[in-house]
Amino acid sequence: MSGERTGAGLLAGRGVLRRLGGVPVVDRVDLAVRPGRVTALVGPNGAGKSVLLDCLSGLARPDGGRILLDDRDITRAPCHRRARLGVARTFQQVAVFPELTVAENVQVGAEQQRPSRPGGAALRARLTAPPAVAVRQRVAGALRLLGLTPLADRPAGDLPLGVLRLVELARALAGAPRVLLVDEVSVGLDAGQVAWVARVLALVAREGAGVLLVEHDLGLVSRLAETAYVLDGGRVVATGPIERVLADQRVRRLW
Amino acid sequence: MADPGLAIDFALAGVAVGSAAALSGVGLVVCYRLTGVLNLAQGGIAVFIAYLLRELVVVRGWPVGWGAVLCLLVVAPGLGVLLQLAVFGPLQRRQAAIGEVVVACVGVLVLLIGAVAAIWGTTPLTDVPSLVPARTVTLPGGHLLRVDAVAQLGTVLVIAVALWAIGRWTGFGVRARAVSADPTLAELAGVNAGRVAAAGWAFGSFTAGLVGVLLAPLVLLDPYGLPLLVMETLAVAVAARLQSLPIAVAVGLALGIGQSELTWLHPGGTLGPLLDAVQSNLFAVALLVAALVPWGFVEGFTEQGLLGGGGVPQLGRRRGGDAGWGSSWGWGWATAVCALALLTPLALRAGGVRAVLTVPALALILLSVVLVTGGGGLVSLGQGAFAGLGALAAALLASGRVPVGAALVVTVLGLATAGLLIGRPVVHRRGLVLALVTFALAVGLSRFVFEQPYATAGLTVLRPVFLRGDHAFYAAELAVLAVGALLVAAVRRGRLGRALVAMRDHEAGAWAAGVAVPRVKLLVFGLGAGLAGAGGVLLALGGEAFDASVFDPVQGLLWFAAVVVAGVDSAVGAVLAAFALVGLDAATVPGMSAVVVGALAAGAGRLPGGLAGRVRRAVPG
Repeated sequence: MSGERTGAGLLAGRGVLRRLGGVPVVDRVDLAVRPGRVTALVGPNGAGKSVLLDCLSGLARPDGGRILLDDRDITRAPCHRRARLGVARTFQQVAVFPELTVAENVQVGAEQQRPSRPGGAALRARLTAPPAVAVRQRVAGALRLLGLTPLADRPAGDLPLGVLRLVELARALAGAPRVLLVDEVSVGLDAGQVAWVARVLALVAREGAGVLLVEHDLGLVSRLAETAYVLDGGRVVATGPIERVLADQRVRRLW
Repeated sequence: MADPGLAIDFALAGVAVGSAAALSGVGLVVCYRLTGVLNLAQGGIAVFIAYLLRELVVVRGWPVGWGAVLCLLVVAPGLGVLLQLAVFGPLQRRQAAIGEVVVACVGVLVLLIGAVAAIWGTTPLTDVPSLVPARTVTLPGGHLLRVDAVAQLGTVLVIAVALWAIGRWTGFGVRARAVSADPTLAELAGVNAGRVAAAGWAFGSFTAGLVGVLLAPLVLLDPYGLPLLVMETLAVAVAARLQSLPIAVAVGLALGIGQSELTWLHPGGTLGPLLDAVQSNLFAVALLVAALVPWGFVEGFTEQGLLGGGGVPQLGRRRGGDAGWGSSWGWGWATAVCALALLTPLALRAGGVRAVLTVPALALILLSVVLVTGGGGLVSLGQGAFAGLGALAAALLASGRVPVGAALVVTVLGLATAGLLIGRPVVHRRGLVLALVTFALAVGLSRFVFEQPYATAGLTVLRPVFLRGDHAFYAAELAVLAVGALLVAAVRRGRLGRALVAMRDHEAGAWAAGVAVPRVKLLVFGLGAGLAGAGGVLLALGGEAFDASVFDPVQGLLWFAAVVVAGVDSAVGAVLAAFALVGLDAATVPGMSAVVVGALAAGAGRLPGGLAGRVRRAVPG
């Protein structure tokens, strides 16, 4: 089964093109993130993985191609609207808010869920917007899931990098995402934390969300993912079931 | 009007102003390229040197030549080197955020203006010496040519060519161009970037002083007018995008000549006064246009791109837990002290209340800076202008016999709306560009509305009978201030407050977490405009007049610096700053508050969190 048939995807990129200074760094990439699965995106440094993630999450606008969520075109939707539609992400350079506490960091992710549609829909959405209790439950749930409850009231600025990665992941999960884009989550984590994160990501996928894992740690990738895309020089050079992709001679040469 | 000869005469007349503006632009561009700092303090240096030269020549009887040599070749460059060593060098070494650099610049500006006011007084002076006597020669064809204008134009061209030659052929020039292209790389290659920056500041101060000395004889010399005039020539450097010397020279000359040409277009009718205003304030118009036109990518700016980062100022930022924005109020005692200080005047006799009548109004305006800059991370230098609009609206409504309460509500709502409208093209700008755009807005409003008879003539503001007494009015002011403080507290503790901190700490992260960054910025800008407008209403009612000089853009810069120094992250800082601004001038000489605030703001890089933050941290609990 090939990943190019994007119709089955929850979040899909079709022919995504992104240039920096005239040079394509993401070159007409087709990619699909399926619900209930972990999909891996691997490749050497500078292959364009993070830029592709920016295009999918809305931080960068592609110079060509389309981004689809449930077959709906969201190419022009700004990042925050995509987040509200259920596309969450973490960053390679960890993105937490140092002035806020751990719990407040997670709360920012939980309380933005208010779909903005015009007219009566907006009013209904407002009336059914997450009430404070639900937000608090979601924050507590996300903190518990990542073992952060004891640190809830600590300012994030005081914590080590490994913990901050968990905080960022908790914030992404608190928004109850349908698609989770994870960028190099294992960097700065110790072995125990990596195992914990792997369990959490597997759980997220089991509950029906799609996970896109950008990762250098091939051990983590082969443990979690079913499908993989290999990116090199901005192009997809291999794709398919994870074992086959990782065994491919052309792919092995890249490492 | 169709006489081409007349056009030439006007063009020749415009060369004097035009070459001064070109010189200002050249100084700003060179200083920016060598130091990475846009010298917003230029107006302060200019006015200080102009006053010093007058002191030496007129009061002490020195010959003009020797006075000019001392002022322009010794004092001004020395001042520049001092600025690099004491203020900007330390900021550069720890790679301070752009917001901190803007605050330091404003601090230096305010400090120098305050020093001038404190030393030489605020009375406008007419006996300013000219470097070159204003003689005229008659050209063939009957056109009059002023010798001083020719000398100025020559100076500008000589300086521009000399700069080009130095950059091209000397070792220093090569090092300077290396620093200008990439300071870090140049340092790694062994270039002493600090020394290059010191040279940049010395040159920037020299040109600033020269511009001041050249412009001073053309206007009445007073501590506030000349700096603003010099700051309007920022338009030239901004139009040159802080990079190109030829463009700076061309734009400066074009604006000077254009302004002169416009004087013979004297249209009648209703548009007449407006066009006259455009003519006399062409530089303000140019500044507004040049700042508003998208900058594209300019080195050192993060105007473009969502992921640019680094352009968001992190004023008073501490690593959590320190009662910052979004944290709980760990500072009840400070609020209590402030409340007590505000309530005390109610127990005083009428004279005592009168002296502090402006404090709550000013605190409300400063509270808007706390919200917009401290909360939203937007370096807005235009809050004073919103206050001015509020005062003007109050005066208009009061003249129309609208009850005072209704006038207040209408004004605040109107200004919040205006803030949303004005904010739309503005708030997505970052760092220095946002500061420039908001300052340009303040200059534009001041020049085209507050100072114009068509907007402000015949306004009378009378307090209603029940607020006629100073005690009653002061109590009413406190009530409005309390509402404003509660609003800010509600914002800071709620969802919006968390979103604001998230946005300031990591903008891309905030986007990804679903924070609607543009809407949040716009909302906080609109709220800030409403708050500042309320303060303006109270100022107008307190003084029972609309006074344009209160809302001068330079005054707005002083207010901004004061609240940053006192603590931009809390309402306590706003109240503290208001007391300091009113009290210091009343207790000593006018200008003293500017000196103190300016000195503290210039050193604000070493005092994160402001005075309020410092005191709060010193007190346990």
